[in-house]
Order: sequence, then structure tokens, then C-alpha cells
Amino acid sequence: MKIVTANRLSDGRVIYAGPSGEPVEALDRAGRFDGEAADAALSRAARDPAIFVNPYLVEVDGDRPSGRDRFKELIRSRGPTVGHSLGHP
Amino acid sequence: MYRYDEFDTAVVRERIEEFRDQVSRRVSGGLTEDEFKPLRLMNGVYLQLHAYMLRVAVPYGTMNSRQLRRLAHIARVYDKGYGHFTTRTNIQYNWPALSDVPAILEELAEVEMHAIQTSGNCIRNVTTDVFAGCADDEIEDPRPWCEILRQWSTIHPEFSFLPRKFKIAVIAAPKDRAAMRTHDVGLQLIRGEDGEAAFRVFVGGGQGRIPHIAQEIAPAVPGRDLLAYLTAILRAWNLLGRRDNIHKARIKILVASLGIDAFREEVDRHFATLRREDLRVPDDEVARIRAYFAPPAFADLPRTSGAFDRASLADPDFARFARNNVRRHRQPGYATVIVSLKPVGGVPGDITAAQMDLVADLAERFSFDEVRASYEQNLVLPHVRLDDTPEIWRRLAEAGLATPNADLVTDIIACPGLDYCSLANARSIPVAQALSERLADLDYQERLGPIRVNMSGCINACGHHHVGHIGVLGVDRKGEEYYQITVGGSADETAALGEIVGRSLAADEVAPAVGRALDRYLEVRRDGETFLDAVRRLGADPFRDAIYGAVDAVA
Repeated sequence: MKIVTANRLSDGRVIYAGPSGEPVEALDRAGRFDGEAADAALSRAARDPAIFVNPYLVEVDGDRPSGRDRFKELIRSRGPTVGHSLGHP
Repeated sequence: MYRYDEFDTAVVRERIEEFRDQVSRRVSGGLTEDEFKPLRLMNGVYLQLHAYMLRVAVPYGTMNSRQLRRLAHIARVYDKGYGHFTTRTNIQYNWPALSDVPAILEELAEVEMHAIQTSGNCIRNVTTDVFAGCADDEIEDPRPWCEILRQWSTIHPEFSFLPRKFKIAVIAAPKDRAAMRTHDVGLQLIRGEDGEAAFRVFVGGGQGRIPHIAQEIAPAVPGRDLLAYLTAILRAWNLLGRRDNIHKARIKILVASLGIDAFREEVDRHFATLRREDLRVPDDEVARIRAYFAPPAFADLPRTSGAFDRASLADPDFARFARNNVRRHRQPGYATVIVSLKPVGGVPGDITAAQMDLVADLAERFSFDEVRASYEQNLVLPHVRLDDTPEIWRRLAEAGLATPNADLVTDIIACPGLDYCSLANARSIPVAQALSERLADLDYQERLGPIRVNMSGCINACGHHHVGHIGVLGVDRKGEEYYQITVGGSADETAALGEIVGRSLAADEVAPAVGRALDRYLEVRRDGETFLDAVRRLGADPFRDAIYGAVDAVA
């Protein structure tokens, strides 16, 4: 399954496309899409540039990113792993 | 320090209004992200993993207390209460909203600061020796020349859309404390035959995936011709440099491919055709700018300080701080204090708003209202009385800013890595923290002596791992974080690239491996031999064996 993610235009925060294409902040609230539906969801986000900046698809396995960039996507979803912003996405 | 004139003020104000309009058009849909990206980058705004990042210029690393307090205020009001100092002596904020950036730029302009050209394919913030005006080995204070370069390069019409970014460092002493030869152009201020300021010019340095140490292109360019000579260098590169491949667009690639002699001929050809009189900085203008950097009103003090000596004898912790973080000043009775932003287990270069306020207070009270940001991601109080160092130390210690590790192995240079950066392949900060915690024993660190560890989260090398005495580079192996180790790099006047010792290691193997290499150094070193000297004498093999012996034994 895949989800659509991007950065929000106004503040740059990580967002995902919800089941109906609406922006949501938590990965576990992102819509899951397969095949052509994923491409369609990505196209829908791209048509909303006032919210979604540089949207792209991420493979997920349940509530965790999978695929090659899984670790990067995990950090995006949870915030920095260290420092003054620990866990504040 | 330099104060804005009416031209500086107008340029900065106009740029804010221009960017405010660009942000407004972006938010309203008038500009696409592709159209907006080069505009925001020219104003220091990146889009990183979690948020926008704003990089604010600290020209040649010099600030006053009012400016540092304003940086603290911005951290508090518009960010998450902290900032991050970089090797380019700039400060980065990791969480500003795009919609707030014009207001932040207004706040900066009020204290004569900006974010112009802290990113993008232009001439970036000019850096210099953090001990400028303090060191007893410098020819003269290099900062007036840095300021001349800042004014010349700011929104320069010919050099605003270069093939890639372009970085300049200026030093004025034989000792290089600004990593000058890792720059696109490095300038060493010397005395010309006429006794006037002249510059030894180096070109084609840089890091990234294809690192090079800059080569000398000119032995003594007179100061009056500096801008013309730099124009010739930039023009040669702008015309001949590659724009088809981002990884081959830096001037280092052009210099390496042509060879330094052929590149010099190109530069000389342009130099000969320039109307040099148009680019000559008038003597009275040089004098005017030099006046801003005149030494402060030092008191006539004895060379030694009873208060300093008594505190050193009475308190071993102060004595250690004095040994490692207090540096000799050319003015008798004064010293330069390094404020370490490398607490054990901390984030290299990070500083909270409260800490910034404290350093600003100390600068105002004890250091002629001046504070510096260093290449090593620390802060420096440049001109303090030796008599005052015990009190400064106490106040720094109360704020967690007195870690006595300047230039020791835990004074680690590190990029933000995958915790923040959208380009990174691996995290830098946790590995730096693990190293820092493992090597925290200060007796051990002092026994090791000066060792620079540099940590980068990807091959773009923002942590300058290529020139670390020990370099650590994060790489991606099938979605997992691994780290490649180099030894023998150096960023000083003996600049050299480190040698990769072998295959990359898992994250939890890095700190133990570096620890073994350091233990091996203690076994093999000769009297007074630094780690770098030992690597140069023995080569990488003893350290390779130490790093991989235990790993291989377990495997």
C-alpha cells in the first residue's frame, strides 16, 4: 500500500493526504491507496499546491513506512530523534 | 564592528519587501514551488524534512550583543527556542513558518542582519579567522577585507546566478583557523613588496563528493586589485564551468580538469581585459572600513593576572577550562574565551535562546560588546580581561556553556544529518553524541590532545568529514544507516584529505571503533606527537587494524 506525503506550504510541516485527499498531520490517519488509486491520490494532491508542496508516494506496511526510504520517512513522521526538538514533528 | 550605511539599509529593506511579495504570491498560488524555490533560497529559506529552515548570515562570524539577543528572540518567538550554528559561521532555525519569514527578516534588519545569499548559486557568507583582531600571529585584522568582499558580492548582478555556490574564506596569519583551503577561493593576507596588504590566492578547494584542496593561483595580488582578480576568477568559471551536472559545477571541477596553470591563464586573460580602475577599492574607503574594526579601547594591563592565577590554583575545573578554552590575546592582560557548544551528549552547534542571551550579556559586559561564531560551531568572546575569566567561567558553567573541550576530541563538528536535512542519508547527531559520551573523560581527552572529529550525514560533506583528523560519513546501505571512517584529514595550513580506512560500519559500531583508533594512537605515538602527526608518520594501517580488528573478530 502507499500513502501520499508532502510538506505543507504555509509552515513546511509534514502532511499526508487523508482518505478523501484532505491534509492530515499524522501518518496513521493517511489514506492507503493501491495501484492506480495511489497515482490518482498523488495527482489530486499535486492539484492542491496551496497545501501540498512536492507531494510523493511512500510505501507503507501497516502504520510504518517501508521501502528504501523507510527510515527517512519514519523520522519525517515522528520528528527528530535527538536534540531540542526530540519527537516534535 | 561594521555598521550599516544608508546603502546597506536600503538594500536589506528593499530585499525584505521583495521577498514579502514573493512569499505572498507563493501562498496565493501566483508562483509555483519551482518558480519560488530559487527565490527563497537566495533569502536563506530551505524546505527541509520537517519544516522550512532559515539560515541567517553572520558576516565573518562577528556579532554584537544586541544582534545575539535578537537571534535569541527569534528562536523564542518564531522557532522552538534554539538555533544551530554552522561551519559557515551562520545560524540556522529549523522550524520557522514560511508566513513568518518576512517578519523575521524585519526583526533581523532592525539589528543590521539578514539572510541574503546564505543559500543559492551565489557568493556565500565570507568567513575568516575566529581570532581576528586577537591573534598575535596575524598581519592585520582580515575583517575589513571580508566586509569589502561582502559589499562587493551582495546582489552582484554578474554573480547572482553562478553554476553553483561559491565560498570565500580570508585569513591573515600563517596559521589557518578558517579551513581556508577547503574553499572555492581562499585568501591569505600578506604584506606585499610595497608593504601594503596583498593576498596569496588559492582556488578550487571544496568538499562534497569530489573533494579538492585549493591550489595557489597567485602569490601576491595587491589589495587594491583584489576585487578585479576575484572578478576574473569568477568570470572564468562562470563562462567555462559546467552547468549540466550539479555535481560537476563547482569551480574545483573546472580547476582540476583544466589544471591550475591553464586556469591561471584563463584568469589572467580576463584580468588583463578588466577595467581595473572601476574595481579598485579607493584607499579612503579601505581606511573608512578599517576604522570600523579598530581595536577596542584596551586598558594598559600587566601581562599576568593575579585573579586568573589564583583561580587556576584554587579550582582544578577552572584550571582545565583555562588550559583548553582560554587563548592568548595579543593585548597584554587580555584573553580570548571559547564558549563550547559541545556539551557531552549535546547537539554540536546548538544553543538555546537563554544561552544566547547569557553569552550576549557576557559579551556586553566583558568583551567590548563583541562575540564571534567559529568554524568549529562554537562561540567566542574575543577580548576579555584575564582578571574576568573566572567570573565568565562561572556564569558559563551555570548555563551549561563551559565544557572545557575546545579542540579536543569531543569538540565535534557535525551537520544536522537525517534528523533535519532532506539531503542526508544518515543521522549525524546521534553518532556524534555517542562518540561524545564514550570519550567524555576529560583526563583522557587531554591525554589525547588536539583531535578534530568531523561528522557528515551525506556526501555533501557539510560536516567537513574529508578534512577531519577523524572523519565520519553517513551512507545509506539498502535503507540502513552505515558510516565510513577516514583518518588523516586536516583543515589547517597543512590541509589534506583523509584516507578511507575500510568498509562502512553500523551506527553502534562507530564510537567503539573510533575509541580503539584513539587507544592505538596512545600506544604508538612519540613524545609530543599529535594524532595527525602520528597518522602522517605511520599511515592509516595501524588505525585501520584497530578499527576493524575487533569488528572482524566478532564477525
